Amino acid sequence: MSSYDASQFMAVFLEEVEEQLQIMEQEIMRLERDGSSEEAVQSLFRTAHTLKGSSAAMGFDQMKDLTHEMEHILDQVRNKQLSITNEMVNLLFKCLDHLGVLKDEIVTGRSQSPDIPALVEELHRFTSSAASLPIALPAGPQARTASEAVDFASLSYDHQLRIQEHIDHGLSIAAVTVEISPDCIMKLARAHIISNQLSSMGIVVHTLPPLESLDEDADISKILYIVATEDAGVNFEQALSGMMDIAGVEACPLLLSAASPSANPRPGENRQPEEAKRKAQTVRVDVERLEQLMNLVGELVIDQTQISRIGNVLGHRYASDDAVDDLEQVSDHISRVIGELQDSVMKARMLPIEQLFNRFPRMVRDLSQSLGKDIDLAIEGHETELDRTVIEEIGDPLIHLIRNAIDHGIESGDARRHAGKPSKGMLRITAAHEENQVVITVEDDGAGIDPDKMKSAAVRKGIITAEEAQGLSEKESIHLIFRPGFSTAATLSDVSGRGVGMDIVKSHIEKLNGIIDIDMTLGQGTRFKIKLPLTLAIITGLRVELNKRTFIIPMSSVVEIVRIPPEEIQTIKSDPVVVIRGEVLPLIWLHDYLQIPRTEAGRKHLPVVVVGAGEKRIAIVVDELNGNQEVVVKSLGSYVGKISGISGATILGDGRVGLIFEVAGIAKMMKAAHSG
Amino acid sequence: MGSNQGQFIEVGIAKERYAIKIYDIHEIIKMQDITAIPNSKPHIKGVINLRGKIVPIISLRNRFGMEEDPYSRTTRIVVVNHGEEIVGIVVDRVNQVITFSDIQSPPERVGGVDGSYFSGIGHSNGGLVSLLKLDQVLYE
Repeated sequence: MSSYDASQFMAVFLEEVEEQLQIMEQEIMRLERDGSSEEAVQSLFRTAHTLKGSSAAMGFDQMKDLTHEMEHILDQVRNKQLSITNEMVNLLFKCLDHLGVLKDEIVTGRSQSPDIPALVEELHRFTSSAASLPIALPAGPQARTASEAVDFASLSYDHQLRIQEHIDHGLSIAAVTVEISPDCIMKLARAHIISNQLSSMGIVVHTLPPLESLDEDADISKILYIVATEDAGVNFEQALSGMMDIAGVEACPLLLSAASPSANPRPGENRQPEEAKRKAQTVRVDVERLEQLMNLVGELVIDQTQISRIGNVLGHRYASDDAVDDLEQVSDHISRVIGELQDSVMKARMLPIEQLFNRFPRMVRDLSQSLGKDIDLAIEGHETELDRTVIEEIGDPLIHLIRNAIDHGIESGDARRHAGKPSKGMLRITAAHEENQVVITVEDDGAGIDPDKMKSAAVRKGIITAEEAQGLSEKESIHLIFRPGFSTAATLSDVSGRGVGMDIVKSHIEKLNGIIDIDMTLGQGTRFKIKLPLTLAIITGLRVELNKRTFIIPMSSVVEIVRIPPEEIQTIKSDPVVVIRGEVLPLIWLHDYLQIPRTEAGRKHLPVVVVGAGEKRIAIVVDELNGNQEVVVKSLGSYVGKISGISGATILGDGRVGLIFEVAGIAKMMKAAHSG
Repeated sequence: MGSNQGQFIEVGIAKERYAIKIYDIHEIIKMQDITAIPNSKPHIKGVINLRGKIVPIISLRNRFGMEEDPYSRTTRIVVVNHGEEIVGIVVDRVNQVITFSDIQSPPERVGGVDGSYFSGIGHSNGGLVSLLKLDQVLYE
């Protein structure tokens, strides 16, 4: 096996681990919340079992040992030999964290040496307090008919699970009872031969009694074989009739409803096969491949514009030729197909935000515990889909907002009771689509942000002057929180004060072409609202021309487009400014920042694009405005590296490369030019 | 790849002849419209669109301190592999595929150009050809 294949397995394995750990976390949370939930225990057991299997296969023994012990503990809970206690939940969380560390170790290849043996020992102590596991097999299979013998619940959990897996894979399960002639000499050998014969028709999942547990000279009269076959209608009686020493064969199908891996099947459990079916209809695809597909579609778009241009040329040249008409029709059709293809590939890159939101319950639990606050978390819209790059990028800012809400927003239980609020705090995180954007909110019912305190703090920290503070509206005062160097809490706690301020959150969101806003009612709570584009891969851009070259300004930064006569340009301290709607805006020629010669030969009106970078507005003079267009954003690559004022590039309709401006970068360059 | 190991593509700027290992070459394309990138490193001429991929372009003339010549019908971009990325090098012409009977280590300077740009001097029937050390040529 080549190393390439091994690494591919590794990727699949790690994805599975990641997924299972997430499920595990949710289920442990559920256990903590609901106490003893049979479903949660069942599901936890399944994830531990899955992880045990795959880690054993990949040779990660520590993970295998740990999951094995977890499985053991959960099995006892399932059998009601242990009950759920806080202590156990904490222990399970500890296991989960250790599994996370083990996973990281595998990813990074760096040993962080978590003390797995100690944890295994702890789990051991925990379980040994419970009684040993009774073996739940029918006492005497001799006396039973097949249908009676197959008391599904009496099978060990492992076997139930295996049977369930076979059912999930679409196999039929049959219970075949074989009566062996009393005069057969070597009954066990015969039983094995029958087992082999059955194996040729399907998979022998289990036998009762288990053949491996029998002595060579055991006196067996009846054996029950549980067989999984692809074909539901196998005639076992006939298949076995030709064999010696068989007194009778009785087969009956084991029905799905009986075959739920639970001692007490609940209505909720029957969803499982359905879910399994739905899962089978999805495939995991490497993002690289989607990226490649996207590139190929991009090339098609460019080629298509060429074809349609050539079609036009030919149309003029051979106006009377039918073939040219056909060409145009085909060309139109191809354009439409390519457009749909582009949409589909875009959608394929979307993921539900769930995988990010799933991290929050645990985080909120841990944080509120460490701060001694009681907090209810509500999450809505976890199915909202957006581009995976956006999901990856938005994680940190959201976590920061949540930490802030818990640490600074929601008051302590006492303070809340004083204020006449329920002592339990409320944190709500939502996601929803709104037109072509995603809106994410983080909302708490805490004390809110006091605008006056914000002002005085900002003055004290020298962020604004006292005169400036006077002139600020309530909203502006609250927005001071986004200024660099601002932190409202008097002392930095280790929860939210990690040197990362709200200004970083804001700039992070703006980097994603997003907007963040605050809604606040003093004493009632704070709501942060983040608007994000669905994807970073395609943006709407304004095409502008500078000295015959086309550049793209992201529409998300464009505030307005105006044409001004040159005589309206004024100067303040020799810097050009322009007044638009009563607002004095600095005016720049983009040319100057891009080493492109200015081209203005007595024009009556200058096209000006007003862009916003944070609170700042800048008026930019360009040569031509060419309308907007959806553009596929591409990186300039690491060889070119980071370029100030340019965020990336795109392929224009004519096949040339157009550069995309980064407005924040241009604002920075302006600042640098001024101070320098 | 063994048989390709000794094969080179011979390119020319002005009257000089240089060779690039065939193994390092992604493809050779005709001169294209290059989009200059403002504020970028001085040796990067700009970028082109190579079938949907943005490819940075440098010029060998510029690298070796020669005057840029107007592009002619023979001007080519030699696209070479550079780690995970590809980079295009503008040359005046691409001459031929070439092998060498002997390769010697480069002198300190080769015709006014720093010897560190070369991995060696190749002897062929047609004379001496300087072998480009791509890492150095592409290095900023």
